[in-house]
Amino acid sequence: MQIYLPIAEMSVDALTLVGIGFVVGWLSGLFGVGGGFLLTPVLMLIGIPSTVAVASGANQTLGASVSGLIAQARRQNVDWQMGGVLVAGGLVGSVVGVQIFALLRRAGQVDAAVAIFYVVVLGAVGTLMVMESVRAIFRRSRKQQARLHNHSWAHGLPLKLRFRKSRLYISIIPPLMVGFVIGILSAIMGVGGGFMLVPAMIYILGMPTAVVIGTSLFQVVCVTASVTFLQAIQVGGVDIVLTLLLLLGGVAGAQFGAAMGGKLRGEETRALLGLLVLGVAGSLLWDLWRVPENLFSVGPAW
Amino acid sequence: MLPRVSLLAGWLAALALLLPTLALAQPSPLVARLSTERVAITTAFVGESILVFGSTEEPLGPGGDEVIILARGPSGPFVVRRKVEVLGLWFNGPSARFENVPGFYAVAGTRPASLLLPEELREARGIGLATLPLVSTGARAPGFRRALVSLKQSAGLWQEDAQPIEIAGSRLFNLRLPLPSTVQPGSYRVEVMLVRARRVVATEQLGFIVERVGTAAEIERVARGQPVLYALLCIILAAAAGWLGSVVFRRN
Repeated sequence: MQIYLPIAEMSVDALTLVGIGFVVGWLSGLFGVGGGFLLTPVLMLIGIPSTVAVASGANQTLGASVSGLIAQARRQNVDWQMGGVLVAGGLVGSVVGVQIFALLRRAGQVDAAVAIFYVVVLGAVGTLMVMESVRAIFRRSRKQQARLHNHSWAHGLPLKLRFRKSRLYISIIPPLMVGFVIGILSAIMGVGGGFMLVPAMIYILGMPTAVVIGTSLFQVVCVTASVTFLQAIQVGGVDIVLTLLLLLGGVAGAQFGAAMGGKLRGEETRALLGLLVLGVAGSLLWDLWRVPENLFSVGPAW
Repeated sequence: MLPRVSLLAGWLAALALLLPTLALAQPSPLVARLSTERVAITTAFVGESILVFGSTEEPLGPGGDEVIILARGPSGPFVVRRKVEVLGLWFNGPSARFENVPGFYAVAGTRPASLLLPEELREARGIGLATLPLVSTGARAPGFRRALVSLKQSAGLWQEDAQPIEIAGSRLFNLRLPLPSTVQPGSYRVEVMLVRARRVVATEQLGFIVERVGTAAEIERVARGQPVLYALLCIILAAAAGWLGSVVFRRN
């Protein structure tokens, strides 16, 4: 069934979009991540303009994360105080990110820039994930205990604040910086950034794992809402019809994925997720690398 | 059933009244019409085709009269970019900006226009893609113009002699103009020209409007006109849909 997307100004198969939403939702439920990092590249692959793919990807991640946040909040798994600091950094980051995005679009470099961001960020995160989980699998077999959290440079900075829920007494500078960087990436890549935020919260901030997911969802919901707002008014790329079709498949898929994810072991899941992330990065790198079929492209002038 | 019959009867009566006057009026060498004057872009829009049809007084075909049909959509500026290799990766490099590029352009004839009219006449009337005044600013290479033409052609937005005008009974002609789903809203002009002895002896100016209607129009209007309201609606709708979906599909 073909449907006309009013903002993308093109006609696409509605079932394809619902199907993409379902598969991405299923994977994100399985691995407990937002799935934006899969969705936006797939949308660009099927020919959705990158401005619309990024903006609508952020919008869909917002919808996909809301129910998770509600569930985590009910179980008291959100550190609102830490979340507030992260969101403060994230909102500033999203403003900066959308400005960079608008500049890139004017320069006609959005496609390549978004792809490079994906290759670099996903390549790094995927490699870390695979290495870390492989190490964890070996450690498990040697029956060693991991430390609760590491005291790193992040613990020696000024402006310290007590975060009761996370049982931390640290400077607010690291969470502000983490939030800021994720905010920028969220705006340019159209993702929630959970796959980067969760490791950053564990390894940089040293937060206990119990509150990491809930708190990261709080940041994701707030920052994707901000990105949606700014992209819609500045770039005009949010296509609500596209978003809702993706969500229709996405929320259904996420429930099935989550049910299956419960049966997988943590380290194996993370290794698989790392490989998936590396796969997406690799395919985008290949697209940048190979000689384009058509050297020329045409678009409306801004 | 009854109203439809009476309507038909009414039409027949009107036709009967009109026919003598038509016959008495000065015979026109060329009459042409469009199958529709309004193309609606709805949420189910997948493109549409418009039928241009008409009749001529003199017989059409080899040795007789010929017909050329020219259709144009609203114009706007476009940028053509060329990819260049930087450190093994492909980036958009030099670009050329073209002003006044027709978003839609189609030309067809009973035979290709290049065989029917001399070049200066085609040039004057803008018949044929080669006659489009595509002036660019920026990178100056003939490749950009060629690329613009071929990209627009492969998108189905520019058509040159894609198919000949069909002739039926040597006086009736028709052409199906396919509009792809990417056509821009606006007013479109269709010019039907009667060619005799390498000259245009009669023309008929027609037109149709492409417009967004229904939900698609509403969404587009709000997004362009009230972006803040639209942005807030997108946030609320996505959040509500995500929450609702998780309630509906909950599995425990």
